[in-house]
Amino acid sequence: MNRKKFEVIAREEADQHTIYVKGELDLAVAAEFRSAIEPLISTDKEVILDMGELTYIDSTGMGILIFFLKARKEENRAFAVQNIPQKIKKLLDLTGITRFLPVQDGAPGQEAGEV
Amino acid sequence: MRAEKRRIALTLPAEAECIDIARLTLYGISNQMGFSYEDIEDMKVAIAEACNNVVLHAYPSDPQGTIDIEFWLNEGDLTITVSDSGTSFAYEELGELGQASMPYEGKTLDDISAGGLGIYLMQALMDRVEVEQETGTKVTLTKYRTSV
Repeated sequence: MNRKKFEVIAREEADQHTIYVKGELDLAVAAEFRSAIEPLISTDKEVILDMGELTYIDSTGMGILIFFLKARKEENRAFAVQNIPQKIKKLLDLTGITRFLPVQDGAPGQEAGEV
Repeated sequence: MRAEKRRIALTLPAEAECIDIARLTLYGISNQMGFSYEDIEDMKVAIAEACNNVVLHAYPSDPQGTIDIEFWLNEGDLTITVSDSGTSFAYEELGELGQASMPYEGKTLDDISAGGLGIYLMQALMDRVEVEQETGTKVTLTKYRTSV
């Protein structure tokens, strides 16, 4: 089973960290995702999660999102997501997580759950 | 597709790395049956959540545990059973069956947890979900074919 089905790339910029997630975020790679974002819980810079190339997310992936959202809130630090593909958004909407996710899509500060 | 029931069975090691085999198999079957892209995506999430529960909860001390999956290709629906022969973990503790509302409705970020998400997703994405627990746990997931 060597097909690389998930990839997480963290890029540090002057005023933010951007984490790019690609492929299928499921139980098999949950630990990899968690260990990539966990060190960023306390960073002073804004953390942006780019989901543009994410093709699948399961409840464990969403659980880590919730964990990170809460941890950043506790630290009073900024966290946002960007480029959510439609089928991922459907799942986030369905569970209600969207309401807690600030979306940054060329419109900083825009809240996701305004429906 | 003939009118009579056809059955396709798959047994996988209860390992996280094998769950995408269940998703890929489901894709092949449901695509051949003519389900829409959206229905197929819904079913992929649901079957994976049922498998997640087996991998996470069914075999706490048995590394040889398996996930047994049956696909019943019926005229009007696809019915999938996901079974294990492990410990009958308390499904109700993972989430409320029959719960119709969004798990996070009316809650603040401080109040929410990831528990129960998997079960909620299965129910929200399938037309019918049943859980039986005797020796192990058997989850039955049904998606009706919408006539074109």
